[in-house]
Amino acid sequence: MAVRVCLPGGARLEPIPGLSSVTGRLLTEGTRRRSSETLAADLEALGMDLSGGGSFDSHMLALDALATDWERAIDWTAELLRDSIFPEDRCIWVRRQVMAELESLGDRPEVRTAWAFLEHLYAPHPMSRPVQGTPESLAAMEAQDCAELHAAALRRGLAIGIAGAVDPDAVESRLRGLLADLGFEAEEPPPPPIPQGLPEARRVVTLDVGDSESKQAHLFIGHPTVPRFHPDYEALELAGVVLGAGAGLTGRIPERIREREGLAYSTRGNTVAGCGLDPGRLLVYVGTTSAERVEQAERGVREEIERWLEEGITAEEMEETRSYLLGREPFERETARQWAELLADAMVYDIPLDEAGWREERLAGLTRERVHDALRRHIHPDRLKVTVGIPGRQDRSGVR
Amino acid sequence: MIAPTLTALPGRSTVEQLDNGLTVCLLENPQAPLVTTALWFRAGTRDEQPGLGGTAHFLEHMMFKGSARYSRGEIDRRTQALGGSNNAFTSHDATTYYFNFARDRWTEALAIEADRMTGLSLDASEVDSERQVILEEIAMYESDPWDALEQRVLARLFGDHPYGRPVLGTAPELHEIGAAELAAFHRAFYRPDNAVLVVAGDLEAGALERVRERLGALARGASARQPATEPVFPHRVERVERRQGEVARLCLALATPAASDASYPAIRLLVGLLASGRASRLHRSLVEKHQLCSWVMADVMETTAPGALIVATELVADSEPERAEETLLRELTRMTEEPPAAEEVERAAHMLLAEWIYDHERIHQQALAAGFSLTLFDLGHKERQLRRMLSVRPEEVTAIARRILPPGGGGVLGWSLPARWSGA
Repeated sequence: MAVRVCLPGGARLEPIPGLSSVTGRLLTEGTRRRSSETLAADLEALGMDLSGGGSFDSHMLALDALATDWERAIDWTAELLRDSIFPEDRCIWVRRQVMAELESLGDRPEVRTAWAFLEHLYAPHPMSRPVQGTPESLAAMEAQDCAELHAAALRRGLAIGIAGAVDPDAVESRLRGLLADLGFEAEEPPPPPIPQGLPEARRVVTLDVGDSESKQAHLFIGHPTVPRFHPDYEALELAGVVLGAGAGLTGRIPERIREREGLAYSTRGNTVAGCGLDPGRLLVYVGTTSAERVEQAERGVREEIERWLEEGITAEEMEETRSYLLGREPFERETARQWAELLADAMVYDIPLDEAGWREERLAGLTRERVHDALRRHIHPDRLKVTVGIPGRQDRSGVR
Repeated sequence: MIAPTLTALPGRSTVEQLDNGLTVCLLENPQAPLVTTALWFRAGTRDEQPGLGGTAHFLEHMMFKGSARYSRGEIDRRTQALGGSNNAFTSHDATTYYFNFARDRWTEALAIEADRMTGLSLDASEVDSERQVILEEIAMYESDPWDALEQRVLARLFGDHPYGRPVLGTAPELHEIGAAELAAFHRAFYRPDNAVLVVAGDLEAGALERVRERLGALARGASARQPATEPVFPHRVERVERRQGEVARLCLALATPAASDASYPAIRLLVGLLASGRASRLHRSLVEKHQLCSWVMADVMETTAPGALIVATELVADSEPERAEETLLRELTRMTEEPPAAEEVERAAHMLLAEWIYDHERIHQQALAAGFSLTLFDLGHKERQLRRMLSVRPEEVTAIARRILPPGGGGVLGWSLPARWSGA
């Protein structure tokens, strides 16, 4: 069985960058009854897997357990939610771990370029920075900040998705009994700043690759689009598959950049990448070597985006893509973990994913014209921002 | 006692060999209206000719670049149009192609596999174009600090043995591989008598007949595979070092027996004791008690020839690499000195069993596990290993630890240190 808990708020509303991520992790670090060490021993004696973390929209807790242990899994989830104590010493250590995670991610050239691209697109919105925060913001937070963020989120309500070989009524009854006295208030924090992006259309980042012989450059092109609940989401999602978000090497970008021109191993295109409560993005990525190939790739990507916007998608692409999106649905609902995540997300994003036929109806209702209209509304070649990461030697401090 | 009725994979499996030698495994499991086909060839990096490293992986790419009935890109387009997904991967021991489809359209996968087994195009211009793609793939891995470090460590550990060679080959080798070399590899190994097909999921009656219709007439004729050779490992722990990035990374690879060895389940359990979960020894010591590392992991290669137990960890800022290394080696030595407590062994077994269950929930994962077992060992391989692992006694752990962990065992300890690190 799988339990997924989302506490709405997340990095988009946090007062200190990275606070949601650290708060989620601290939910696994001790309760009134058990230290982090005891928790780990108790859970692992039963083969349970516990983790916490944060996204832009919530902080969260995930627990996987064998279905035979469902009662304890429910009880312990409630204990972690209600009775976590956010110990100061664990907060200090978790902050150091998160800083190390940021440094580690930053050692990957494509991640550094992606961070620069997000800042390029979203500044000053929180999506312009890593969800983990920054070294400076992490250094500034304390355990009490996490406790307060969790308490405030808990007052606003929570979404719990549970799936597996369990009796739903028994699970619900037990959970309700354990959480019944939590009081809820409609207390909304101020909204995040509006994404504006950096003024320049093109940004070049120099990447230190050390002893590596790699000469690979990383090209990101795009601009913000729509949030998850937008009425054009499905139309843009479908158009994104045509661009390069589908199976294997299908899509216009992989077909041209990789298959026809041999410019890259890794290339993809999407229209709703990273979308949640805030707008996702049109994103095209190409990893390629040498400045000439970057130029050729950028030219190819721009031409494909313009053609896509001008001509829309073909009737054949429309039907194949619809079939793909419908056909992959069962693969996203195979396991308890997938189901639990879908259920929790459905509550966070107000999407009736558990309603049979809802998704089919939304996709069946799309026409080529509707998709083309959505492209015209949300895709703007004149607003494209280009971020390129080039191997070289430079102090990385410029790209936080 | 843990899970006395354990079965490694859910569902009912049957194995049949067709007249042309193709081994077919049907894994019937109606948990979702899906079918996965996984076609395994007993051909990988270890079967390549000297100087032509990367041939197996190059051919894997070319299998999507055109055959008699499917032009370049058509396999992916057809897969997408049917709402499915596909991919392939190459290892040192085998190459695998898989498709995931809804239960009413999975036979398209058989048509594709039959076509590219018999009518692969290998057009010279496509070969040239794909070589560039693979050179980009090499550049991508080379720029990742973990991939680059692990490759150097394994190259040193395995020396001239094929397991020390990169699956992707090297740039000079790739320039030596053309359509003729790829065709020769395809001709030698991509034959039904060198392959295993797993069809798993919500199978209709007559699934085996569908396989027979599509693949039963393919001509046998695979070349005899050379037996796996034994690597010559270092007798002690050797060192490699490189510089990249801001984070210190340690990768320790220690020589182990092949996955068919009787001691392998005890090695799996040893891995669990060392690094499975937050209560494991290395996590407790390196991450929790001394707070030197942000995480630590351990795993063991599951290979037909002797392989490696790998421990990897990343240091937090301001940790001294020497101290992390000493702490790691001290914990490993402690494991060789006295048997772990029975409760500790039971915890590790629980964790490994749960990980196995979580990792094999999907039809796709079940198909790959069955194919792996049948291709390189036998269908019961995983089941036996799991059962045996759950009954390993503490003193067996100590015995195997003394064989493979330092100071008794040989291996390679690799550091990727920050470019600006100035320590000793």
